[in-house]
Amino acid sequence: MEAILKSDLHAKDTHAPAKSAIFWRPTAQTGLISWLTTVDHKKIGFLYGVFALFFFLVGGVEALLIRLQLMYPNGTVLTAQQYNTMFTMHGTTMIFLAIMPLSAAFFNFIMPLQIGARDVAFPRLNAFSLWTFVAGAIVINLGWFMHDGAPDGGWVGYAPLTSKTFAPDHSIDMWVMGLQLLGVASIAASLNFIVTIINLRAPGMTMMRLPVFTWMTLITAFLIVLSFPFITIALVELMMDRLFGTSFFEVSNGGMPILWQHLFWVFGHPEVYILILPAMGIVSEILPTFSRKPLFGYPIVVFSGASIGFLGFSVWSHHMFTTGMGTMATAAFSLATMAIAVPTGVKIFNWIGTLWDGRLSMRTPMMFALGFVWMFMIGGFSGVMHSAAPADAQQQDSYFVIAHFHYVLIGGSLFALLAGIHYWFPLMFGRKVSEFWGKLSFWVIFAGFNITFFPMHFLGLNGMPRRTFTYDANLGWNAANYIATIGALILGVGIFIYFAVMVYTFLKGEKVGKDVWDARTLEWSLPNPPPEYNYRVIPTVHARDAYWYNKQHKEEIAREEAEGAKAEAAHGGIHMPHQSIYPFVASLGLFIASIGIAVIDHDPSPGFWGNKIVVSMIGGVVMLAGIYFWALEGNEGYHLHLDDEGNASADKKAAKH
Amino acid sequence: MRLSSLLTSTARWGRAGFALGALALLSGCDYNFWRMDGHQSTITVAGPVARSQLEVFYVTCWVTLVIFILVGGVLAYATLKFRAKTEAEEKAIPPEQGHGNPLIELGLIGASVLALVIIAIPTLKGIWYTYDVPEDRKADTYEITATGYQWWFKFEYPSEQIAGSGALTTGNELVIPAGRPVRINIRTVDVIHSFWVPKLAGKVDMMPNRANFLWLQADEPGYFWGQCAEYCGDSHAVMRFRVIALAPKDFADWVAQQTSPARNVTPKPGETAKAQFASLRTFKQNETGITDKYDVAPLEAWKAKQFPEKGENAALIAQGKALFVSKTCASCHEVRGHGAAGISGPNLTHIGARSTIAAGLIENNSEQLQRWIRDPGSVKPGNKMAKAYIDNNIKLTNEDEVALVAYLQSLK
Repeated sequence: MEAILKSDLHAKDTHAPAKSAIFWRPTAQTGLISWLTTVDHKKIGFLYGVFALFFFLVGGVEALLIRLQLMYPNGTVLTAQQYNTMFTMHGTTMIFLAIMPLSAAFFNFIMPLQIGARDVAFPRLNAFSLWTFVAGAIVINLGWFMHDGAPDGGWVGYAPLTSKTFAPDHSIDMWVMGLQLLGVASIAASLNFIVTIINLRAPGMTMMRLPVFTWMTLITAFLIVLSFPFITIALVELMMDRLFGTSFFEVSNGGMPILWQHLFWVFGHPEVYILILPAMGIVSEILPTFSRKPLFGYPIVVFSGASIGFLGFSVWSHHMFTTGMGTMATAAFSLATMAIAVPTGVKIFNWIGTLWDGRLSMRTPMMFALGFVWMFMIGGFSGVMHSAAPADAQQQDSYFVIAHFHYVLIGGSLFALLAGIHYWFPLMFGRKVSEFWGKLSFWVIFAGFNITFFPMHFLGLNGMPRRTFTYDANLGWNAANYIATIGALILGVGIFIYFAVMVYTFLKGEKVGKDVWDARTLEWSLPNPPPEYNYRVIPTVHARDAYWYNKQHKEEIAREEAEGAKAEAAHGGIHMPHQSIYPFVASLGLFIASIGIAVIDHDPSPGFWGNKIVVSMIGGVVMLAGIYFWALEGNEGYHLHLDDEGNASADKKAAKH
Repeated sequence: MRLSSLLTSTARWGRAGFALGALALLSGCDYNFWRMDGHQSTITVAGPVARSQLEVFYVTCWVTLVIFILVGGVLAYATLKFRAKTEAEEKAIPPEQGHGNPLIELGLIGASVLALVIIAIPTLKGIWYTYDVPEDRKADTYEITATGYQWWFKFEYPSEQIAGSGALTTGNELVIPAGRPVRINIRTVDVIHSFWVPKLAGKVDMMPNRANFLWLQADEPGYFWGQCAEYCGDSHAVMRFRVIALAPKDFADWVAQQTSPARNVTPKPGETAKAQFASLRTFKQNETGITDKYDVAPLEAWKAKQFPEKGENAALIAQGKALFVSKTCASCHEVRGHGAAGISGPNLTHIGARSTIAAGLIENNSEQLQRWIRDPGSVKPGNKMAKAYIDNNIKLTNEDEVALVAYLQSLK
């Protein structure tokens, strides 16, 4: 066995990888093909980020239209149906197409660098996750361009409103199939991250030395793998009801709409932590760096992250306090929800402990991270208010809930992600965002956000239900709604400044050297932007804040690196994976199949293109072909040899692995 | 929704942008949004269930506020105290690389648990108290069944049986006895709705295939605003209702009136349908149908609706009564005693005695009623009545509408 492996490793293949015309191995380094076929975790992470930010802007426009409609009582900006479409798509877009993929962008780009790896465990699977995510995003949004319209069943898609009886057109089908694709993408990506973190850690990188962001990536990946199957089942059942007339949720045949809510929230509540844990990870990197001391109570921060993930599976029915669960179930979920406040509070205490006695350097990432701590604290407190079920009976489905989860998702998740972009931008692109414009965008976003969402607490307590396209002037809601809309416009301006500055910096920003923040984790030991192979020599980790240790022990590390370089050269150089088009092909097949299932009308008199089954089957064939060729083309790669300056030599030798 | 139809509303955005510029002109606007004393306030409550829920809310509020002040204070202090004021300070030798203090951690975890226990105790008490009528009040409890439809509420009174017709049935205005516990069975015929009268009780969802219920009580006679609180399709936002709590004697009078058949107005021989057939003004999209006058004293406005209006035109009413059948209104609506027995729409036997129509959305007066009859789809997008007009090819002249309005207003 070993002999076979060794002979493969040193096979004398040429660099040109094409075995035959079928197994085309693209080698383009620039242009469209290079992006479609890339397996580099950094390029994939970058693409995740670009798509996420695009959809973030789409979701933002939807939000502004919602706010303009509600600016005055009896608003006329949108019709009832347009409004219902807007809030459905705003929620779906922001959760699945903006925050989650933006987190995935960081997982992809940063996590392998933090553990000292050269890529994720399955580079082609990673590309497949990306393109399947893009396919799902397109399917969900197709309705904008079609007669049937975009989905309007609310982001929670409660049965039986989504049944064929009450939503006869295709918009719900597109929502169902789009979410299914996103589920495939998320689960594939998460398995990849789990295997990567477990197996590809550099020597010495024990689990209790993992950077907190990587820990949160691992926990989030487990949450995704464990929670997405629930929504997959729910969506399959809904699809069966809609396409084949089954009765999972069909009331007239004894179906149970409450079943949908249980399945949805068993997924939906862990999903909340899927959105917030990466943010907590980012903040747990930024606060120590800019306080210039280690994270306070690292083991407890990690453990509380894991407990949040664990407890997150036991509180789903607090979204259903008003569905008539009875006293005992309500009490149990109420107490479990309160319990989850403890590990969450612990994180806040530890962040403050990190600041204590530090030397705080108030740069833009630090501003966003501190903004996160404040806003997340407020969102957490309103969350505790919801956990008290009797109080929640008044707050459920009111604007109080809207205020609560925007404090957690914008003030929480988004602030941390914006902080992360600022923090890692110099590493990703070798340029640094201007402090002035960064801080300006922070203050505008911070002000706009609070002006928008703080009054919504009062709106909710004053009885305004959510998902309402109009309200009368006599209910005392006018002023708060008006202020919220002004705030939303300010928030929009802040976001615009933020991204305008980002684009400018990407093109023309100030160039900086490596480790611009005097940071603590391994990724900062790389030149910026990091080379395709990441680490010239796989690093050896000696302490929790690995790079901080390295900076204190330069001679020891230099000696180790020299030895490591020799060993790697003897091993055949840096092993790199080949690019591949087949992950993209497989995703394309899934895309075509879901168009067939969701969009194409069932045609009783079979015409070739008009037939649902034919299109679905073509998609299935394309997908299977993609997977089959993907398997057959082999996981060979090539070796890079670096000279002393770190330039890769042209002598790229192909290798089988 | 199509992108193209969205683009047609761009002109309206322009107006909104102009309105934004007029911010300064809004100084007269009521900015006291923190007062929270609106018609649907959960703070200025009027019954024991809502009060119990409010008390739990206040406990959570105070506990979290204290924690916020403590933790926020420390956070603010640390941020200001340990801030590097100059670039030189930023680059100075880093502070001691401490990794934490387990004793502090454990202490804080203990304190958090304690704070949550303070919240948990009233929460548990509240869950049991708000769930069902207390044992000692059960004998005095009045029972009603509320059923959600897209997009209106039906109310049935099982203890008020009418010979040959079953339980007393009304729509969209729930009349209850004040000072007594009322147990409401919560049902739906289609999608999920939610029954919510904030001043009286928190919401309970109307779930298909689930026998939910809630209880509430109005301390004093009064007029309360309610609204569907679970997204239920196109017109969810305009699915509203009212609760009128009456003193025991008034309630008994109301029941007596409601259980009698629909009122008959017989024209005198030779009387003709003279009416001013002024054309109805046009209404803006989503235009409010509630006047300020009505809003000042809604309970009085409701009481005034219980008596026949002066100057009724009996011949016009008779004409409307005939139209109600010939234009197929009767196939969806019931008017008990007038040969109309439809059940898919609200029961209209005493529609003239209600203060609002179209599920608590607009005031029940001649103008608004005609607006509704003329174009129900513009008032409540996607509703069945608008669809029935198309399906049954129903065309109403202005004169027909006025006659129908006169008839419906006569049904006290």
